[in-house]
Order: sequence, then C-alpha cells, then structure tokens
Amino acid sequence: MSTRLRRSDLARVFVRLLFIQATLHRRGMQNVGLLHALDAAAGRLSPGKNGLLARHTEYFNTNPNAAPLVVGGVLRIEDEGDAGAPASVSRFKQAAASALAAVGDVLFVGALKPLALTLACVSAIYNFFPGLLAVLLLYNAVVIASRYWGVSFGYARGWGVIESFSGHGVQRLLGIARGAAAFAGGVLVGVLVARARAGGVTVTAVTAGVAALVFLASRRVPAPWLAALLFPLSWAIALIAK
Amino acid sequence: MINDILLIAFIAGILALDDRAGWQSLLGEPVFTALIIGRLTHQMHAAMLAGVALQLVWLSIGSARGTRRPNTVVGGVVGIASTCLVLMTTGDTRVSFVVAAGVFCGLLAGEAGAVVTRVAGEYRERWLVGFRIPDTPEAASRNLAVYVGVSALAVVVVNAVAVLVMLPVATGLADWLTGRLGAVETGAGLWVAALPAFALATIAAAFGNRVAGRYAALGILAALGAVWLL
Repeated sequence: MSTRLRRSDLARVFVRLLFIQATLHRRGMQNVGLLHALDAAAGRLSPGKNGLLARHTEYFNTNPNAAPLVVGGVLRIEDEGDAGAPASVSRFKQAAASALAAVGDVLFVGALKPLALTLACVSAIYNFFPGLLAVLLLYNAVVIASRYWGVSFGYARGWGVIESFSGHGVQRLLGIARGAAAFAGGVLVGVLVARARAGGVTVTAVTAGVAALVFLASRRVPAPWLAALLFPLSWAIALIAK
Repeated sequence: MINDILLIAFIAGILALDDRAGWQSLLGEPVFTALIIGRLTHQMHAAMLAGVALQLVWLSIGSARGTRRPNTVVGGVVGIASTCLVLMTTGDTRVSFVVAAGVFCGLLAGEAGAVVTRVAGEYRERWLVGFRIPDTPEAASRNLAVYVGVSALAVVVVNAVAVLVMLPVATGLADWLTGRLGAVETGAGLWVAALPAFALATIAAAFGNRVAGRYAALGILAALGAVWLL
C-alpha cells in the first residue's frame, strides 16, 4: 500500500476544503470546490495532474462537514490506482457523498448547530458573555477538528470510509447528539416560559397564542413572514386599546 | 455615522464569506453578530436584545431551503446595527421600543437580502458553470484559484453592498417609527416580548416526537428548576 501524500499535503487539502461552499452552483454543486481541494495534492499523485482532475469534474454534492472524508477517500483511491478496487473512483464518490451527507446533515445541521444556537441564546438572554464565547469556540473546535480528522481518516481508509460510517456506533453517536440538542432546546423553552411568566399575564397569554399560531401556520407561511406581519398588527391593537 | 456604516458593511461582507462560502463558524448568526456590532457601537445591551430576538425567530429556518430562507447575515447585521445606530444618534431611552423597530427592519432586510443575493448568485453561478480544466497543470491550478477566489469575493461584495444600501434605509425607518409612532410603544413592546414564541413553536415542532420529546422535557424541567432555585 503506497502512501505518497504527506501530512502537509493533507493539511493543504483541509484548508482548501474550508471554502468548498464558495463555488457552489446548481449544475455541478461543489465540483469546482472539490477540484480546488484535490489540486492541492494531485501533483504528488499524478505528475501531469490534469488527468486526475479531469476524472472529477462531474456533479458532486455532500454536507460540507462530510466532504473531507470523501476527499480523503478519493485521494487514497487515486493513490492506489484502480487495481483491486471494487468499483471506479467516480462510483465511490457518488456512494460516499450521499451516505456521508445524511450523517453530516443529522449530526451538524440537525444536532450540533441547533445545540450551539440554543445554548448561545440562553447565554445571551442572561447576558452571560463567557458562555456565549465558550459556545462559539467549542462549536468551531469541533467543526474544524472533525474536518481535519476527516481528511486523514478518509485517506487512511479509502473505500472503507463508507463502511466505517454505517455501523451501530455512528447511529448511537447521532442519537446522543440529537438527544443533547433536544435537551438544550428544552432548556431554552424552560427559560423562555419562565421569562414570559415573569412578564405578566398579558405577555404569557400573547406568547402562548403566538406560539400556537406559528406552530399551526408555519407549514404554509414561513415563520419570519409571520413575525413581520404581526408587527403592524401589534400597532393596530395598541391603537385600538388606546 | 457614514464611517460606522462603511465599517459595518465591510464586517457584513466578511461574515457572509464565513456563512455562505466558508466553514460556517456561526459568527454570521444574529446572536453572535450582536457581539461584534454591540462592541463596535458601544450599545452591547441593545445589540444583544435585537440579536436574540432575531435569532429566536430565525431558529425556525434551520431546515428551510431555497426561496424560503432569508439572508440572516444581511438581516441580522441590518437589524442589530439600525437599532444601535438609532440609539447612538438619538439617545432614545425607550430601548425596547427601538429594539422592536430595529428587529422589524432586520426581518424585512433578511427577506430583501435573500432576493438580492439570489439574483446576484445566478450571475455568479452562470460564470461558474463555464469552468473547464485547461491543458497545462499550472494553468489548471491558477484557474481553480481564480474561480474560488472570485466567487468568494462576489459573495463578500454582494452582501456588503446589500448592507451598505439597506442599513441607512433601515436606520431611517427605525428612527421614523420610534419618532412618529410613540403612541404605539406598548404594542411594539408586546410584539418584541412575544417573539420567543417563534422559538417555542420551532422547538415543539423539531423535538415533539416521543424519543426527542423526553430529552426536551428533561431540559424544560432542568431550566425551570434552575430558574426557581436562583
């Protein structure tokens, strides 16, 4: 097994992957960003790297936090060549991108981001700035570390990266992350309910009414539109009450 | 004030780079943007009130895609900065009323910003579709760097210009609302006090199933217990 890429090559790939969303477009999605990341290491894998890059111009789309795993795997497959591979590198990319996108969406978009934002809101409500900064630093530490680890892990495993993310351990991790996000969401609800109660009967009643309205109507009307529409309505009610 | 607006527009461009083209560090979320704008304008309390109010409303768009998604960077920066600039220039003591006007402007700016960035994004995308790998490896590397760099720069410029145009308008509107409509201060105050309801509905919809509901219920009990104890 050859390992032609050094740690510094993988670090360059990691840095370029931080900006994979910069070239997002509907036809190829992240394909230009992927090529930019592969370009950082392609010279070491293939002297006339254009041939390697030309194999990866097709459509590519995954969760940006899962992209390092896929790119690491692509680099390993390109390093070892097609001999003995179960399928083409293109097939790997397609399979890994969709499998890992689901994991990335659940873990980062569905759990870690809501967890960080709800904890940030609780800290901000109580003017607890160290808490706000701690949330920001911890979230970024997790995201950056997992992306850096993703490139190395993907490069170490190659095809095996898909299997590594389909076991019970990963499902357990996703369950824990979702549970933590739900717990933090509950904490925010508790804080908001306590504050509404402290605001008096009118604030509590209006909050409960608006929450019910948003819960029922948000499938048809986006919540931010409802919020903006309620602003002139609140004036009208205040004028009538006057 | 012009210098403040220019600096805030530049910051908005950098935050958009992080949120739309970078690794999404969350600095572009209103609750964190408030830290930067509040520090810059020395109106930290009002900035945090506006930032939290906008964040609680926009928690609901976590899973929204495409046209339903407002531009939270432009909306957040405009909403928070217009609140702070009105307080800075007028010295108005009715902070929650000014916050309500600023948050309303932020919500409108978020929707307008989404339209602007979508239209500008279509031109950027058309240009990106034209990418081809040149014949020589050196040219390929150079072209890729140019495409990524220019595309990221376009994100910065479009969002910064959007804030540069919208912020003076929003500040004027917030100033006008608070100056002319003082009679409805109670209504605006009640509106901003009820905005957490959007977060309550969002969390109920997101974690209202049997498994996640248990964890959420535990969180509610923990928070109510802590509030009662403290």
